Amino acid sequence: MLLVLVLVTIGVFLIVRLVPGDPAQMVLGLKARPEQIADMHHRLGLDQSIGKQFTSFIGTLLATGDTGQSIAYNVSSRALVLSRLPVSLWLIGCSAVLVVAISLPLAMTAALHKGGWVDQLVRIVPTITLGMPEFWVGLVFVLLFAVTLKIFPVGGTQPGIDGMLYSMALPSLTIALAQTPFIVRSLRTRILEVLGADFVVTLRAAHLPERVIRRHVLRNALLPALQLYGMKISFLVGGTLVVEQVFGLKGVGSLLFSAITVRDFPLIQAIAIYCALGVVLISIIVEIAGGLIDYRVRGGLGGEARHQEAGGVA
Amino acid sequence: MKKTRTFSALRTALTAATAAVLAISLAACSQTGGSTTAGTSASGDQTTFTYARSAAVTSLNLWTEITSNNAFAIDKIFEPLVSFDKDGKIIDWLAKSHKISDDGLTYTFTLRDGLKFSNGKNVTAEDAVFSIEQHQAEKDAALPLTADIASVTAPDEKTVEIKLNSPYTPLLAELANFSNGIVPKDFGGKSEADFFANPVGTGPFVVSKWDKSGDLTFTKNENYWQQGKPGITKLVYKLVEDGTQAVNQLKTGQVDGIEDPALENLDELENGNDTKVETAGSWVTHTFFFNTADEHFSDVHVRRALAYALNRSDVTKAVSFGHADTAKTVLPKAIEYSTQDSIEPVDNDLDKAKEELAQSKYPDGFDAKILLASGNNAYSQAAQLLQSAAAKIGVKLEIESVDIATFRSRFKAFDYQIMINSAQADYPDADSIIDFQADPDGFSKSYWTSYSNPEVTEELKKAQVTPDGDERAALYEKIQQTLADEVPYIPLYSPQIVKAVRKNVTGLEVLPNNSVRFQDVKIG
Repeated sequence: MLLVLVLVTIGVFLIVRLVPGDPAQMVLGLKARPEQIADMHHRLGLDQSIGKQFTSFIGTLLATGDTGQSIAYNVSSRALVLSRLPVSLWLIGCSAVLVVAISLPLAMTAALHKGGWVDQLVRIVPTITLGMPEFWVGLVFVLLFAVTLKIFPVGGTQPGIDGMLYSMALPSLTIALAQTPFIVRSLRTRILEVLGADFVVTLRAAHLPERVIRRHVLRNALLPALQLYGMKISFLVGGTLVVEQVFGLKGVGSLLFSAITVRDFPLIQAIAIYCALGVVLISIIVEIAGGLIDYRVRGGLGGEARHQEAGGVA
Repeated sequence: MKKTRTFSALRTALTAATAAVLAISLAACSQTGGSTTAGTSASGDQTTFTYARSAAVTSLNLWTEITSNNAFAIDKIFEPLVSFDKDGKIIDWLAKSHKISDDGLTYTFTLRDGLKFSNGKNVTAEDAVFSIEQHQAEKDAALPLTADIASVTAPDEKTVEIKLNSPYTPLLAELANFSNGIVPKDFGGKSEADFFANPVGTGPFVVSKWDKSGDLTFTKNENYWQQGKPGITKLVYKLVEDGTQAVNQLKTGQVDGIEDPALENLDELENGNDTKVETAGSWVTHTFFFNTADEHFSDVHVRRALAYALNRSDVTKAVSFGHADTAKTVLPKAIEYSTQDSIEPVDNDLDKAKEELAQSKYPDGFDAKILLASGNNAYSQAAQLLQSAAAKIGVKLEIESVDIATFRSRFKAFDYQIMINSAQADYPDADSIIDFQADPDGFSKSYWTSYSNPEVTEELKKAQVTPDGDERAALYEKIQQTLADEVPYIPLYSPQIVKAVRKNVTGLEVLPNNSVRFQDVKIG
């Protein structure tokens, strides 16, 4: 896990500097004079060798945990990311809840009535929704529910918890629709498998109470879905970039978008590092949750040790 | 049957999940009352105008900033001695009158009576002297005063006098720039950094809340010198990066105006039930530039051949949706001395195009590349039209589309053959464009074309010191004709400056530099 963070840090640092483009030229405008640009390069340390830039970046990062001053916004990049984080967390949170709220009932109904119309629907619809890009679905939602029907806001966020939920409805549904098909299908297949598994037959044969059997079936069906779900949440972090842009949400994704446009090196690095940290934390949480559901995972993979490592990273 | 009962627990979960979805929708529905029209909130005599902009305000330092995201916030806070109107004509602003001596060496400005800064302190000539001197001393000035200024003095409380060592006609127009706004002397006792974090000026608005990566909220300057203005009490610069999102927010009333609506959206906004557009002539010309240091494009016949092959009005028609003029010369019509109405450009004549190419070093054609920044539909359409025009005379052009940061690094390193870019005046004087685009000794080497014609250079220097009038007009006419004949660039079209607003908005003054004045705005 720590290795992931180190690789992301080094990788992003190099990539942003290897692609063409100069932050000074973007920030100072088309008509910036060469002296102005040279002056800014000097102020930002961009006139030094990549090696020197890297050691000073890593030095500050390790000593103070700071990722440096944003070039375009001229404020601390960490503070910027933190100020944009709530919107993105809301978006990811609402999407994650919606994914569960949509997938669980669908998968169960489909599995219980195998071959029924819900089952057919669950098999066909995802192949269609998978083909629709998120930005397009988002645009259609805006036109339909916001501009024409005026049920939801076009974009942006509104104050208060209810305002937040209200603003997140369309964007999180957009993301959820793209993620749901995978979860539904995996969960459906899994439930069907478990229903036919030997241990269910054995448990029944042993005349154990139904409620005990239920618990075991549930656990066995949920675990793989949960792992897939955890992986999907990591993808959600990436998916927010497009959706935040389409819905005018001021989250980390749209910040990254503008940071890349103007080649704001420190800000791009900060976002990449914090996102990597977020993804690592999510996978740790998913593993812990998996352990709570299935004792084999907790014992076998050494949940305790992993837990400590997470503490060390944070 | 048994299986079904086994999963009754899961069914309970299903019900719970459904309930959760319902709860969210309920929260949503309970909101639908008034929030969708949050943009225009008029309670009592509070009126807010929300303006959607594609980039955040990152700095309010009037001397070091130039990009429009900052410039058009700065010009709401600081105002210069002279300014310009909708047509680009220079008008007195903080000065009630100005006088230029006959030798062109002394500029005298008389301040208006009763001028106050937003903190209530009086504005004196000393403040103006301080402001201009600070601007001159700023080594990172983005729009430095280029005149050879000998002294800036305040003979009395109301008079500002600028003396020059040699005449420089564009000075008055340069002074109309937002970067020559007036700040309080010695920043009112604060440090420069503190001052620009919380600036005090004479403009119609005062910063009240500022998120450098998000929105900026202004409130009305209670001490504004234009009596009874501004009409709105609050002005919000709302960051909406996505153009489609901004258009939809305008349609539903989440915002009251859009700073940069895309040309392709104008038709629907102009004819919408709740929206309209306001326009002005612009100082921008979208242009094909040739790298005249390139082996092919150093040949004037090659450049003329391509210009003849292309039909500029086709380009205008394809990209502007009726909101642009085909450019015939380097100076847009909204700039004085433009010969847009009289000049004969090298344009749209296939026979002549073939003749020109036959006279060139490459009579059998050649391969070259057009460099452009991605994400601009109009530019890529224009490039395709040039591509097909060139194909007719045997020149094979390939379009190379790169992201904007790469694009800038490339052309500034002269690493291109043909590019499409925007040429823009910063202040209402012909020199603002001609000097930048035709002076090979300037840092931009004739807008990175390396174009050099000693005659043109001499004429443009002469025009800088010639007082306004017929002689100056004749110089600029000659320069424009030479540039049209030698085609270091093909000016394509000048788009109108367009702002989209809600239908109930009146009094928005659109300016040719793409800014707007809000002091006369009323809602409803």
